[in-house]
Amino acid sequence: MIARYAQNEIPVQRLRRGQSALVARIAGPPEDVHRLEEFGLRPGTRIEMFRPGSPCILRMAGSKVCLRTERRVQVFVTPAASQG
Amino acid sequence: MNDESHRANPDSSLIPHPSSFPVVALIGNPNTGKSTLFGALVGLRQRVGNYPGVTVEKKTGSMEHEGRRYAVIDLPGLYSLAARSRDEMVAVNVLLGRYDDLPPADAVVAIVDSSNLQRNLYLLSQVLDLGLPTVVALNMVDVAAGQGISLDVRRLERELGVPVVPMQAHRRIGVDELKAALSRVVAAGPAPRPSPLPEAVRREAEGLAALAQQAADRGGVVPRLPAWLAQRFLLDAGGHLEQAIRGDGDGRLREELPAARERLAEAGFRVPGVETAARAAWGSRVCEAAVRQPREPRPTASDRADRLLTHRLWGTAVFALVMLGMFQAVFVGAGPLTHAIESGISLLGRLLESHVAQGALRSLLVGGVLAGVGSVLAFLPQIAILFLFLAVLEDCGYMARAAFLMDRLMARVGLSGRSFIPLLSCFACTVPGVMACRVIDNERDRLTTILVAPLIPCSARLPVFALLIAAFIPARTYAGGLVGLQGLVLVGLYVLGIATAVLAALLLKRSILRGRTPPFLMDLPTYKWPSLRTALHRVIERAASFLRFAGTAIVGVSILVWAALYWPHGAETVEGSHQRESYLGRFGRMVEPVFRPLGWDWRIGAAVMASLPAREIVVATLGVVFNSGEEGAKPQAGSGGPQAAFHAATWEGTERPLFNVPVALSMMVFYALCAQCVGTLAAIRRETGSWRWPLAVFGSMTALAYCAAFITYQVGMWLGS
Repeated sequence: MIARYAQNEIPVQRLRRGQSALVARIAGPPEDVHRLEEFGLRPGTRIEMFRPGSPCILRMAGSKVCLRTERRVQVFVTPAASQG
Repeated sequence: MNDESHRANPDSSLIPHPSSFPVVALIGNPNTGKSTLFGALVGLRQRVGNYPGVTVEKKTGSMEHEGRRYAVIDLPGLYSLAARSRDEMVAVNVLLGRYDDLPPADAVVAIVDSSNLQRNLYLLSQVLDLGLPTVVALNMVDVAAGQGISLDVRRLERELGVPVVPMQAHRRIGVDELKAALSRVVAAGPAPRPSPLPEAVRREAEGLAALAQQAADRGGVVPRLPAWLAQRFLLDAGGHLEQAIRGDGDGRLREELPAARERLAEAGFRVPGVETAARAAWGSRVCEAAVRQPREPRPTASDRADRLLTHRLWGTAVFALVMLGMFQAVFVGAGPLTHAIESGISLLGRLLESHVAQGALRSLLVGGVLAGVGSVLAFLPQIAILFLFLAVLEDCGYMARAAFLMDRLMARVGLSGRSFIPLLSCFACTVPGVMACRVIDNERDRLTTILVAPLIPCSARLPVFALLIAAFIPARTYAGGLVGLQGLVLVGLYVLGIATAVLAALLLKRSILRGRTPPFLMDLPTYKWPSLRTALHRVIERAASFLRFAGTAIVGVSILVWAALYWPHGAETVEGSHQRESYLGRFGRMVEPVFRPLGWDWRIGAAVMASLPAREIVVATLGVVFNSGEEGAKPQAGSGGPQAAFHAATWEGTERPLFNVPVALSMMVFYALCAQCVGTLAAIRRETGSWRWPLAVFGSMTALAYCAAFITYQVGMWLGS
């Protein structure tokens, strides 16, 4: 289980609607992490929460994607200072 | 023109046939308008087939420009060339020319979505590293403009090192320029391009390629690795390519691979992360240089629509309405057409009966061929309308939203949202439902959905249920006339099918199809007006596929069943008594002990066995067997004829009535859970690529249906006594 995370990093599920964030890191089995990265979810990617929940909808570099991670995979983000 | 490094080794299965036309591969992310572009390039000169061993569709066509012909292959939409399964390997195999009838690619058209360039650049970066002559189709420039994104095409060309053609494929804008650019790059041949991968990675890949070369020179079976393939072999940890090449025998290559990765990890380039980092950094640089976009993305029309359509409550309500509309169209809309077809078939039957002399030929034509063809054609309007709806929903982008809304529900069963609509389609007919499973990209999920689909109550079960309920379930009502017993039984049968499907999915996911569920990650494409042309094309293609696979199976088995019911044959006409002496009848009487615990006699058993081509045939066969109709006639459910015949039927040689409520229930339960549908089995064979699965489905569902019918009858009799 992924328990600790750095200051200011929160799991992506905790973003509120309209809130922007930068992907900080993705923790989990390497294959799943790689798949997410290929899809465009990488440290440094800017995202905006469009529809919270599970699965959630994220706005990402001009497109919207739907994301549901299993327990083993966790996407950590740092929320942007300003609200979307 | 064919780069020598792309030729596979002397192993004969890997030598492609020489082609006189240059082969162009069309590659890109899903939802970039690739199919539209393919259609624009080749027009009607296209063919859809299958790659061996996978269910991915093979789309090939031929394109013409200034008198020269080019073969075009539409590769499946991909996010990356890193293949994790046989399906995903298709693109790599096609590029290499590993399929017997497709030479290796001579050039590539990479299509990207202008409004989403950064993400598309990942695959594009891998494609550029192939070293093939490449043209970039910068599609959907109108969408980008609408979002305030401006692209410096000249700058892009400089950064990428290849021609870039702005396009709007659906309006056919830019197609000629694309063709012109393509013919220029094909003529110019391959040109080396700088790769964003670190030097260390490239060197290790070259080392592996050299090893493979040495092994091939020594006469080994290892295929030669062109530079880009060696890179993929190195980078795709645990991927399909690694397994494929590892199996190929050369020990040194197998040992060297982990050693190479270890060296890279020590140098700070851990595989596979090094690739995503390098390519993403390159992609950012390119976008920085060539793309101007507003700081805050403008909310688009799609966003506004999604505020409603992905709303968990209202979005689901809209979805329920859309599905209701779809079923309404399928059942009600198809009605007149189905009726017309059935009338046509009966007309044809009467014509045959009046013009062909009585005998084996006439019986074959009417009872075998026409009956089989008739049931296939009677399905066709329903199936076509269903396919049309599914095609339109997919094309306009709504399908992804539906998958999103249903995902949480499906996740409880171990599947994902993508399985919902195929399973829902099975309520109309299982065959299109099984075929619709192609949209499920996760292989394990797709197989589970396909295996569970036949349990969903399809519309062919209704005639059986309707007939037996009307005949044997009393028309009692409860709650002051609100709830009817007959309706309850029907609902109960539906719930039985659905609940069993859910349990089967859970069971499969925990046992033979167990495995790690990858994260559910799905693109929500921008909404667009569905193209009627694409939709109709898809409908015709799927309907033709249905006729070819399910249709031939149904007609074939119908003829076999007819033969089993016809022979041996004397001078008598086909009546119930005659059926007794037929092969099927004799067989039925012989195995009657198997049916008796269910409360059936050999006649019911034979009718059930004879309904293998398609479930609802049992209605007609029961009619014939119990002497209430002529061969080929369909008794109307609810009319006096068959019901009276059923009530009058007795166990042979006794006065004991054959039919009672437990018997009727056991028949209905059997039909709820059985797989008496050769069309479905043929579709499963087609979609899974092997006979193993349809046989497993048939065996397990028949066993399940038998046990459930047994329990129903025994419990029913015990309760009644």
